[in-house]
Amino acid sequence: MTTDYIAANSKQIEQFLTFELANEVYGVEILKVQEIRGWEAVRVIPNAPSFIKGVLNLRGSVIPIVDLRERFSLEHCDYTQKTVVIVLCVKRSHAETFVMGIVADAVSDVLDIKCSEIKKAPNFGAQLDTRYMRGMHVYKQNMIMLLDVDKLLNPDELDDIETISDSVSVDYDELL
Amino acid sequence: MKMNMPITNNEVLMKPGAILVTRTDLKGVIAFANDAFVEISGYSRAELIGSPHNIVRHPDMPSAVYEQMWDTIKKGNPWHGVVKNRTKAGGFYWVSANAMPLLENGSVIGYISVRHASSRTDISEAEQFYRKVATNEAALHSTGAAAFFKKIKEISLDKKLAFASTLLAAPNVFLMSEFLNTADYGLLSVTVTLTVLGGLMVFKISHNTSELVNLSINELRKVSQNKFGVPPNLRRDDQFGDLFRTIYGTGIKLGSDVGRLNQDTADALRIISGLENVQSSVLITNVNLDIIFVNQSARTLFSRVEADFKKHLPNFRADTLLGTNIDVFHTNPEYQRQLLGKLSDSTMYELELAGHAFQIIAKPVISADGSRIGYIAEWMDRTQENKIEREIENLVNSIKVGDLRARIHLEGKEGFNKSLSININGLTDVIESVFMDINAIMQKMADGDLTGNIHTDYQGAYAQCKDNINNTITKINQFIEQIREAAEFVNNASQEIASGNNNLSHRVEQQAASLEEAAASMEELASTVKCNATDMQQALNVVKSTAQLAEKGGDVVKSAIVAMREINESSNRIAEIIGVIDEIAFQTNLLALNASVEAARAGEQGRGFSVVATEVRKLAQRSASAAAQSSEMIQNSVQKVHAGTTFVNETGTALMEIVGYIIKVGDLVGHITESSNEQSAGIGQVNQAVAQLDEITQQNAALAEEAAANSMAMSEQSAKMTQLISFFKLSNKSSSLAVRQHDSTSKKAVVVKPKSAAVVQSSPSYNSDWEEF
Repeated sequence: MTTDYIAANSKQIEQFLTFELANEVYGVEILKVQEIRGWEAVRVIPNAPSFIKGVLNLRGSVIPIVDLRERFSLEHCDYTQKTVVIVLCVKRSHAETFVMGIVADAVSDVLDIKCSEIKKAPNFGAQLDTRYMRGMHVYKQNMIMLLDVDKLLNPDELDDIETISDSVSVDYDELL
Repeated sequence: MKMNMPITNNEVLMKPGAILVTRTDLKGVIAFANDAFVEISGYSRAELIGSPHNIVRHPDMPSAVYEQMWDTIKKGNPWHGVVKNRTKAGGFYWVSANAMPLLENGSVIGYISVRHASSRTDISEAEQFYRKVATNEAALHSTGAAAFFKKIKEISLDKKLAFASTLLAAPNVFLMSEFLNTADYGLLSVTVTLTVLGGLMVFKISHNTSELVNLSINELRKVSQNKFGVPPNLRRDDQFGDLFRTIYGTGIKLGSDVGRLNQDTADALRIISGLENVQSSVLITNVNLDIIFVNQSARTLFSRVEADFKKHLPNFRADTLLGTNIDVFHTNPEYQRQLLGKLSDSTMYELELAGHAFQIIAKPVISADGSRIGYIAEWMDRTQENKIEREIENLVNSIKVGDLRARIHLEGKEGFNKSLSININGLTDVIESVFMDINAIMQKMADGDLTGNIHTDYQGAYAQCKDNINNTITKINQFIEQIREAAEFVNNASQEIASGNNNLSHRVEQQAASLEEAAASMEELASTVKCNATDMQQALNVVKSTAQLAEKGGDVVKSAIVAMREINESSNRIAEIIGVIDEIAFQTNLLALNASVEAARAGEQGRGFSVVATEVRKLAQRSASAAAQSSEMIQNSVQKVHAGTTFVNETGTALMEIVGYIIKVGDLVGHITESSNEQSAGIGQVNQAVAQLDEITQQNAALAEEAAANSMAMSEQSAKMTQLISFFKLSNKSSSLAVRQHDSTSKKAVVVKPKSAAVVQSSPSYNSDWEEF
């Protein structure tokens, strides 16, 4: 489907929000971005996987915050003022979506990228899961990894997150 | 009557206990006088012996006294009287005189007179009495009634007894006639019987008494003639017994005295005969220096020299020496007497008389009571001894003054003197020989000839002397050889010394020049050091001001630090502001991004908004990058300010340290200034020393020049010395060596010659040698 999407829209221009993670630039479709926020302290969820830093109250809805460094097994880094949280609207299934935040070192830009300029991610075999990669784009000598937001997390992980966010949101509402 | 005049009033007192004894012949001529008499009379014995005894009579004595004396003693009775006698000088002496005839075999052979010292009372009585006799106021013989009573008094004892008996018998005759008349025949017969008995007893007593008295007289006469026997009646108990025993005791006492006298006489005789026969010539005189003894040796001596003595002493006669006074020996008797008078112990003196020399040992003879009773003299004829002594003395004097040819003449010498003379001549021969030998050898040595030796055989010290002289010559030979070698060596050495001294002289001059330069340098140095001191003072001031400046710098640094801090604060604030701006930019960016997101979501409607959002985002990004740059710059600036603060702090510390060091530097500069001053003083002293050194060096230079000149002279002298030593002619063995050495010396001298002009010019023959050489 994705390939179709690419092929269908090869003349189309897509906007990507780029961000930095461990000095590498990544990009997500801007239409998946709900909001960009600065880093603020999160409510830590006990017994959660390490890449889930906690939950955040976003105007009444509780959203899980995922640290992509952890998720991508990158070197851990302290959070700074530049650290931002990109709130994504993730499509779980055709009808279902849910909101989650990813922690990025910094947001860089909003790029207009032609679909033809998006290179397919290389295949590394079964050893490496590359499903979350949508493709690579070369911009000003930098290779930007374009992520498929919907496939960032496994379905199990998504379940976990959903559970967390629901339970929290319930609690949060009750608290309100 | 003989009148001995003159008289003086000088009384000569007799020594207490002295006894004056004289003996005369029947005519009153003195045959013996003891020493005491001779001494007190003042006459010599020779004058007294043979003179009549009245030679000593004093004119004050009445002649009647002497008549009475002669009457008495011619009757055979002893006479006593206090008599005043005259001395030869006219003085007088009182004696208690006793005169009596001297009996031998019952006949009178002369008279002896024994005198004792008289008591003063007796003397004064006698003096008065004699004065009265002289004026006829008194008489020696009693006259008139006095003579009659004297006669009666002196009637013999038996006659007196007969007379007394007759007187006693007279009343009895009267009584008998009375009794006859009265025919009282009883009483008559008793009376007659008693009277007859009394008469018989008186007769018997008178007879016995008279007989005993006569016996006593006989015994006493015997005693007076030294005939000692045992008198009768020694055992009688009456007074006659006592009388005889007393006579007997007196006899024994006299006998013992006579025995002792004989013993003394025999002793004296033995001594005299001993003295007579001793070899020494002995004369003995009494206290008046009358010769009383001459022994055989002395008689021989004096008879031998009599003829010579008579030339000077006409009165001298050897055969009548005995009894004469020793004045005959002396031309000045008084001096001799004084000399002897002082004599207290044995004294030896020399007497030169008529070509004869005598050694006389005189000694006073002192009696038991300490008085001087004579002199004994021992004569020795030392004429021969003196002669040989004089000859030996002359010889010794000759030898002393170096005349060794003198000898003692042997003519007329006998015995010991001859052998002594021969020996002394022998001694002189040896001494002469020794000195002749030594003289000869020394003469040779004086001429430089050392070839001689002493060959004569000597003994003892002479042999040692000879050996030593021979050894000396040998040694001198060796020495001169060695000296010759040494002179040669000295010659070479002296030339070397001369050149060395020249060098020294030059060097010393150079040294002097160097010293002058050194002195100049020192002066420069001194001025430099003074400048240094001044500079140091200035440096000190500079250091002080530097220190002040450094302190000020410290203050400035403090203010700088404060300013830096303020800058820092401002920077921080700016950084904060920039942070805020950055945050705003960030937020703006985020907002712009969100806007872009919204615009994108809006699709075509949101295109314009998207462009705006993009512009805003660009602005925000520019603000962010500007803020980032500002922040970076501010950070930079803050860091630099930090670094600056650190530097300023360090500068402050460094400045403080600099201040400390500058103070130290100031102290050091002060020290250096002091040191410079001291150095300046020291350099002054060094300068002075250098000046002295310069002076000394100049003196040294002068001395070195002198030394050079002297060593030149020395080399000349050593050349001369070599020449002089060649004067000596050495003994065989060494002389050849000497000749050889002489040649070598001359060659060496030539070799040395070119080195110095001071060498004595060599002879032409040596020059030819040189050419050959």
